[in-house]
Amino acid sequence: MDDRIGWVLAAYAITALVLVGYALQLRLARHATLRDERRRS
Amino acid sequence: MVVAAVMLSVLATLAWLLWLARDVEARIGSARRVGAVALLLLPVWLGLVVFYAPIEASQGVLQKIFYVHIPAIIPTYFGFTLAAIGGVGFLATRDERWDQLAVSGAEVGVVFCSLMLLVGPIWAKPAWGHWWVWDLRLTTTLMLWFIYVAYLFLRSFAFGSDTARTFAAIYGIAGIAAIPFVYFAVDLAQGSTMHPSNPSREGLPSEMGQTVGAGMVAFIWVFAWLVARRLELAALQARTLSPRVEGV
Repeated sequence: MDDRIGWVLAAYAITALVLVGYALQLRLARHATLRDERRRS
Repeated sequence: MVVAAVMLSVLATLAWLLWLARDVEARIGSARRVGAVALLLLPVWLGLVVFYAPIEASQGVLQKIFYVHIPAIIPTYFGFTLAAIGGVGFLATRDERWDQLAVSGAEVGVVFCSLMLLVGPIWAKPAWGHWWVWDLRLTTTLMLWFIYVAYLFLRSFAFGSDTARTFAAIYGIAGIAAIPFVYFAVDLAQGSTMHPSNPSREGLPSEMGQTVGAGMVAFIWVFAWLVARRLELAALQARTLSPRVEGV
């Protein structure tokens, strides 16, 4: 096994974190906006 | 074949995003299908990375990082181009929906540009012995990132202002002038750059080229889904937050 596999796994883990993290942040912002809208109406 | 698949994905998602932006709240249901396509493509791409693409002779397994790093550039350019398209549309029509498309494209473009800038050094450290070198490709890419981070800061500080939208539209149109400098940086440096040249010039072996292409296609559909979700949020925020901002 190539001992540099850790670098590769780190790169793919960061990719997953960035994309999933951003999608989650969008979902949370959407919920917060909808909640704000309900509170105001 | 690979180039055709990438071009087709760009054109199909661009047409869909332009259609979606016209009435995002009524049409957001279609994002579910685009998300499903993205979810199907991601494991295909990962399968090709692990089982299909051969281990490169000189770099070994480390070269597998390229299959994330290279595909991330397409959504980066796509996002910043959407910011310009939205900017032109807004200046021509003063319709807020174009502005929402512009900010959504720029924001998701910054996400993919950040991803590229994070993953690149993870390859560079074991390959070059340095996390970062100030060569022309890396420096111009960092400048591109700063240009659009500044665009997003501008947007967040001046939410709801028509003047800010107009300025952002002009800024977004001017910003894409930086893209050719990034793309041709290795050629402009005339051999004095450490960054490898563009894959189209390198002539990758077919399995590697197909895996890069699969990554590009998968990332384009993920990008389109994220832009759609960001567009939905922008439309929601415009509906709920604008009166409060205007009342201040």
